[in-house]
Amino acid sequence: MKFLFDFMDKNIAPLFEKGGKLERLYPLFEAGDTFTRTPAEVTPSAPHVRDSIDQKRLMVFVVYALLPCLFFGMWNAGHLFNINNNVEGATFLTDMLRGATMVLPIVMVSYMVGGVWEVLFAIVRRHEINEGFLVTGMLFPLVLPPTLPLWQVAIGISFGIIIGKEIFGGVGYNILNPALTGRAFLFFAYPAQISGDKVWIGSAKTTLDNSLLGTVAENVDGVTAATPLAVAAAAEQGSSAIQALADSGFDLWNMTVGTISGCIGSTSVIAILIGMAFLLITGIASWRVMLSGVIGVVVIGALFNALPAEKFSAFSQLPFYYHLVMGGFLFGIVFMATDPVSCAATNTGKYIYGFLIGGLTVVIRVANPAYPEGAMLAILFMNVMAPLIDHFVVQSHIKKRTAYARALNHA
Amino acid sequence: MAEFKIKKGFDIKVLGKPAPEIEEYANPQLFAVYPNEFEGLKPRLKVAAGDRIKRGDILFENKKNEKMLFRSPCSGTVKAINLGARRAPIEILIEAGTQEVSVSFDSYTKESINTLSREQVVAHLLNAGMWPLIKQRPFNKIANPESTPKAIFINAASSAPFQADFSLVLKGDEEAFQVGINALAKLTEGKVYLCKSAGSNIPDFENTESHTFSGKYPSGNTSVHINRISPIQPTDTVYTLVAQDVILIGKLLITGELPRTKIIAIGGPAVREASRKHYRVALGASLTPLFAKVLETDQELRVISGNILWGDTVKSDTSVRYYGSEFFVLEEDRSRQLMGWTMPGLLQYSSHRVNLSTLLCKAKTWKLGTSLNGSHRAMVVTGWMDRHQPLNIMTDFLIRAALAHDTDEMIQLGILETDPEDFALASFVDPHKTDVCKIIKQGLEEIEEEGI
Repeated sequence: MKFLFDFMDKNIAPLFEKGGKLERLYPLFEAGDTFTRTPAEVTPSAPHVRDSIDQKRLMVFVVYALLPCLFFGMWNAGHLFNINNNVEGATFLTDMLRGATMVLPIVMVSYMVGGVWEVLFAIVRRHEINEGFLVTGMLFPLVLPPTLPLWQVAIGISFGIIIGKEIFGGVGYNILNPALTGRAFLFFAYPAQISGDKVWIGSAKTTLDNSLLGTVAENVDGVTAATPLAVAAAAEQGSSAIQALADSGFDLWNMTVGTISGCIGSTSVIAILIGMAFLLITGIASWRVMLSGVIGVVVIGALFNALPAEKFSAFSQLPFYYHLVMGGFLFGIVFMATDPVSCAATNTGKYIYGFLIGGLTVVIRVANPAYPEGAMLAILFMNVMAPLIDHFVVQSHIKKRTAYARALNHA
Repeated sequence: MAEFKIKKGFDIKVLGKPAPEIEEYANPQLFAVYPNEFEGLKPRLKVAAGDRIKRGDILFENKKNEKMLFRSPCSGTVKAINLGARRAPIEILIEAGTQEVSVSFDSYTKESINTLSREQVVAHLLNAGMWPLIKQRPFNKIANPESTPKAIFINAASSAPFQADFSLVLKGDEEAFQVGINALAKLTEGKVYLCKSAGSNIPDFENTESHTFSGKYPSGNTSVHINRISPIQPTDTVYTLVAQDVILIGKLLITGELPRTKIIAIGGPAVREASRKHYRVALGASLTPLFAKVLETDQELRVISGNILWGDTVKSDTSVRYYGSEFFVLEEDRSRQLMGWTMPGLLQYSSHRVNLSTLLCKAKTWKLGTSLNGSHRAMVVTGWMDRHQPLNIMTDFLIRAALAHDTDEMIQLGILETDPEDFALASFVDPHKTDVCKIIKQGLEEIEEEGI
């Protein structure tokens, strides 16, 4: 190992440093070099010591927090496929393998295409490769249906990274969450492959047929499975949305465990809660956003519940706690809304931002059934509003601090 | 007399606390004065290499205020004057002579000092070369003798790792301290505040109002004291001093000659364990022999004049400096850790909960080095920079304003209440390795240049 590192330092590093032949590719070298070993740089001036945390650790820990969602999503995709395609002899292992053949290509395409853009921009702009794309590259596939064509994955992540992030200057400068930007683009550009009731469960055509994964006995073409949100939105006025959900096989329990059709990473409340616990224990994501987001759903959901049932849709009568476990809200508020770049920066601002995401999610879901996935739109909308919230918070801070100084001085 | 509990803050648990005992260190042959210690000062030299000088002779003066003089700490021969960028003198080396000849000044007692006018005190301190010990806020530069401060803050507190223990420094010099205070009280129509750390054994003094501060770092920072006791408006001026410098001023007034010694604390992981303590040293005296004795020698070291969080890197052949009562020495850590981004972090120190060590090694004191522990990245607003900030400052937004050169916004956000040292913890915790202190410093310089 030591020999290899010495060789790197002596022979490879000079090629990429200033004046070296491959100077333009320095960001690429820096990424690889600091991936293997922490940099040797020392503090330039006071403070003379620094915390051992760096951006790599920060971002990679978010990816770790996403792993329960990824693994559950893989199993769930395979499990639903095997059930709906009447695969014989399906076990946990074959479920997992089948799911892997569906999900991993999406993750890999997302990382590869996203990574190419990140590297390209870093080299052209001559700045370091930012580890933020590790999180984006993982978040994006987790909010897609498992059957999405890979070329759409590539287009979506490209749109998210370029329009959502790089044209603003890269990580730290963007306004919108890049992963959600990519998803929103696919949602409006190719609705047939990302919404509706035919996209959530793979058919034999959309995955490998391999005897190792279990034989598909009956080649079902286009399995139909609606998501809970679509079912609730379609419930007729005057009827019970809970009953409509139950008729389609959804109850609080399976929506919490996540053995239902939906986006890869966002069906299982339990997997999300594990990731959330990890983020909160390590202190990486803002609890303020998460807490106020949940409060927002509860308050606005309860308000809708209080409306007269005969005048409003059945969805508005759905108890507010259903909103917490249905659809992508929880995944969004834990992993997407807490993105430190696009989220409100002030502490007070975070409460407002989170609350409005929660509230808007319910409003969009209930009042506009054309877009059942309200969380995505709510987060993107609040991303845009976050600087405005911060502006008002900072203005009131300035007023308070001068008032405080004056009061103390004249006391 | 009030007690202030500072709730926010963070103590860096680093090895090498200096013991509360004083060792005499005497008889150095070489002395040095560093004109570049006085930031922004344009010195006009009054001596040349080879000159024979008395103790207390003028070495250089301030070009912008010729009454502000800087005097020699010893008598002997000017050995060399080393120049830095743009031929500005950065180091005046003086070889001590065998016979000491001193310049003498007027001397006073505790009572007679009270009969002086403000102008007389100012003129005396300027002439004796002790005025620059008084700093001024905002901007933390040498006090303007013409300004009228609304208060004077004497900082006798210590919260950073590690600062000299003032209760130890004070022992035996209570009278000089009182005389110094009496002189300072002449400079302001407002009050003189003495700010102490909770639990320190420092009595109250006449002509001052004492306040105690408890809590983690930065509860000992002057900005925190000012903010809690009497915050400054953009148009206000306050004078600030470090407590030991008040003793030096007092000694000048009592004895009528320049003070000879001060006490410095030497600490840090790279100082030999038995040698981590306080030393009584001659002002301006070369520390080379002392450092040779007390420092570990098998590593590349960084000597800091100041504490681990705030201070300048100095050469290891430095002399006792005009400012500062402590030196901190640690290893220049250029080691590279394998895949540091994913290791459990048992052996790395962090203030965040991303390392196992944060949970498991709560009581440990760490042998920290100067590694940056990561690479520079674009700043992302995490809110972590304010986590340990007791001042009512929105660090992230202040940095943005400073980077955008928006002086109005910087002032509105309170930059004038601060000094770059108040952002040491913000720099420390930042995962993107933003040099917050430097950005704030540039912001303050810009405002000073443009005028408020």
